[in-house]
Amino acid sequence: MKRPIYRTTGMIILVIVVALAATTIGTVAVPAKSVLKMLAYKIPGFSQRIEPDWTKAQEVIVLQIRLPRVLLAILVGGGLSIAGVLFQGILRNPLADPYIIGVSSGASLGATLALLFFIPMGWGGFSILPLFAFTGAILATFVVYRVGMVRGRLHPTNLILAGVAVAALLTAFVSFLMVLRIQNIQDVYLWLMGSLSGRGWKHLAIAAPYILVGIGAAVWLARDLNVYLLGEETAHSLGIGVQKLQRQVLIVGSLIAAACVSVTGVIGFVGLMVPHAVRLVVGPEHRRLTIVSFFSGAIFLLVADTLARTLFSPIELPVGIITALAGGPFFIYLMKRGSGSYG
Amino acid sequence: MAEIRFDKVSFSYGDQPVLDDITFHLVPGTFYGIVGPNGAGKSTLLKLMDRFLLPEKGSIYLDNRPLSQYSLKELARNIALIPQTPEYYPFTAREVVMLGRFPFGHRFQSPSSEDQRIVEQAMMSAGVLELADRPVSQLSGGERQRVTLARAIAQRTNVLLLDEPTNHLDIEHQILICQLLREKSHQGALCIGVLHDLNLVSAFCDVVLVLSRGRLVKRGTPSEVFTPKLIEDVYGIRVPKLTHPETGRPIIVP
Repeated sequence: MKRPIYRTTGMIILVIVVALAATTIGTVAVPAKSVLKMLAYKIPGFSQRIEPDWTKAQEVIVLQIRLPRVLLAILVGGGLSIAGVLFQGILRNPLADPYIIGVSSGASLGATLALLFFIPMGWGGFSILPLFAFTGAILATFVVYRVGMVRGRLHPTNLILAGVAVAALLTAFVSFLMVLRIQNIQDVYLWLMGSLSGRGWKHLAIAAPYILVGIGAAVWLARDLNVYLLGEETAHSLGIGVQKLQRQVLIVGSLIAAACVSVTGVIGFVGLMVPHAVRLVVGPEHRRLTIVSFFSGAIFLLVADTLARTLFSPIELPVGIITALAGGPFFIYLMKRGSGSYG
Repeated sequence: MAEIRFDKVSFSYGDQPVLDDITFHLVPGTFYGIVGPNGAGKSTLLKLMDRFLLPEKGSIYLDNRPLSQYSLKELARNIALIPQTPEYYPFTAREVVMLGRFPFGHRFQSPSSEDQRIVEQAMMSAGVLELADRPVSQLSGGERQRVTLARAIAQRTNVLLLDEPTNHLDIEHQILICQLLREKSHQGALCIGVLHDLNLVSAFCDVVLVLSRGRLVKRGTPSEVFTPKLIEDVYGIRVPKLTHPETGRPIIVP
């Protein structure tokens, strides 16, 4: 089993190269060499050997603005993709995405409440935004889960329908609140489109633990999901506790998605498209699918975000526009050419 | 070697009774056929045997130990199931059959050469070795069913449960599967098949259990069970008394 290790190592190197490139690009160009030196300078023991040849402004831009944003793009892109793999697998539905069971609508309502009411009233400033969004996402997911269960058993179709219903309800609330505070809706609107603009170490610290633990759990559950895809009866007969697995996957997927949404807003298409694209290339085996999806999603969002902040600089586009613009046609291309149907 | 015992088992879906006070004992080295009209509770009986459903009343024993005391993995090492409607995903045939080794491996362990050998052997005996690298989603219904059979054989269990295993198969492959099961049972396995085709049951099974409206109404060899009277009582159709000219087993035709 040497090949998976080569593949993983190759993808890690690729992510690092793209991340480094993304860190150097922007209104203020910083050479890659300086970026590397700055990073090394922060490592204890190395700092004496390095002659700082960069300006203070460059250091702030790289270490305080671009680096956390690049890392966040990696984690959120990879996280959303893995959440997509989990939901598509456990619901056995190719249209499932990380938001399908209420995460995005719940987070939207939480964020809207924070942006239109609590923050203007002077409640703790913008740092409460992720907290509100996260709480909304988890509450909405919980409601969908309860509504979607039939006699204590998970029923994928019911769960999806419950997700649609709850999302409709919550979106109506969001619209209602926006009408009430129509003069302040710009922030809400930008948040709903999803963006990494202005996100820093603080946001990374909020989301990273959930996403990292979630990724580990997803890899842990991957083999069980392979068996689960043969159907519930077969999975049971092969020793899988079907209901337990469904619960675990939904919890892990929802936590990853909620953590992503709470710091970046609703970035669409990544979690739907990346797993499909990867599945067409590496096949349906879930261990491989999960790991490759993480790296692919990471690179995809990183590139999309770099375009979002540089294409029309100094204006920043919400990255959700780029992911949908790039993702839609790519997806259609894959479907038209693809031989591998979902099932 | 494994045996299964049902002791006064009842089951219902909601308030609709499906199985009522079922008691029987199944011994190794035998190919059992479970027959009965639609809705008689045949599939439910199989689902109880591998604990996909839990009995409402009564107990089920595998080798004299209550089924509820086994872990799911342990159960999977003892009982293999071929469900009525297996689902497919674009795995290759080999990947599907390899999942039959799932109950024996550790989470992060890759298949051993022993696993590979067992999988090849299972695919060979089910006649699907040449399909190994094709995606199952591109196979015909009959080929898929045989891949599922190979997966169950790769589990190397003492008990094989089959829910309508011959549903999508042409007559050649129906017979191939039944022969395979008979062979497995003669090697000591306990094979239990829910089958609609009474003639297949008559030709291949050692013992027939007849379910009707949730009750076990008859048990015996095909010759003891498939009498015109029983067929009329259970299925409501009249049949002549016919036997196979070579084997002497009953033939059931209208």
